[in-house]
Amino acid sequence: MIDLRIERLDEKHIRVSGLTAMLAVMLREMPEILELRDGPDASVRLFPNPTTADGKINKEWQQMVNPELRHLFVAAGEIVTRDLTAMTGNQEDPEAYEITFSVEHLSAWMSALNQTRLILAEVHKIDETDMERQDFNPQDPKHVAALRIHLLGYLLHLFVELENGNEPADSI
Amino acid sequence: MTPSSATGQPGVIHLDETATKAELSTPWNVIVHNDPINLMNYVTMVLMRVFGYPRAKAKKMMLEVHNQGRSLVWSGGREQAEHYVHQLHGYQLLATMEKSET
Repeated sequence: MIDLRIERLDEKHIRVSGLTAMLAVMLREMPEILELRDGPDASVRLFPNPTTADGKINKEWQQMVNPELRHLFVAAGEIVTRDLTAMTGNQEDPEAYEITFSVEHLSAWMSALNQTRLILAEVHKIDETDMERQDFNPQDPKHVAALRIHLLGYLLHLFVELENGNEPADSI
Repeated sequence: MTPSSATGQPGVIHLDETATKAELSTPWNVIVHNDPINLMNYVTMVLMRVFGYPRAKAKKMMLEVHNQGRSLVWSGGREQAEHYVHQLHGYQLLATMEKSET
């Protein structure tokens, strides 16, 4: 059992420790998944219309607002991609990876984790039923995608708790 | 009341006063929609950050989104509604704005 822990090392740094090898791989694959944000599936979800019926407002929004939104998402992904280069295996336990990053990057991490989850969901057509599925078939790409969404979501959950003033730790 | 164009001031655009007043006085609702991916505590955090709501109010709205599929999270002027929808999209929440029917 590995203890996953997210903590504020000091006023300027956050450390995530006890990452399993599988989570470490999933994190390292995030930049590649984030590149899919402009694809036909993901872009509809990441850049939604602001109204359900007003075509004029929606069109203006696509032209004026979405480029800014895209810049925001890309910037968050770039910050996390840079931070991920510092992820290391723990010398005492090679199965436990850890990463330390600036506290100022916390919002970027939450954004990139959530973008990744949403992109995976759109690319693999994941719905509520898929998210609640109890069985798991490692040969089924949809099952694997749902597992990744859950695991990255768990990390996001812990980041939100940290933002809420808690120092979350758990065993997985 | 004198229409603004009657002032003859440079840079003042003439607008149909009646239509403009009606447009400005109609409140817009900001709606957050449910989706199966966004986490409940994440949505609560976003509502607290964007609107400055206390946790209890944000959590109540989040539960409304979760249980009923949508929640009216704010009402007011169009420009401010656009600003809030923009912010919510920045956090990857499904949010729309619509004219209030009341």
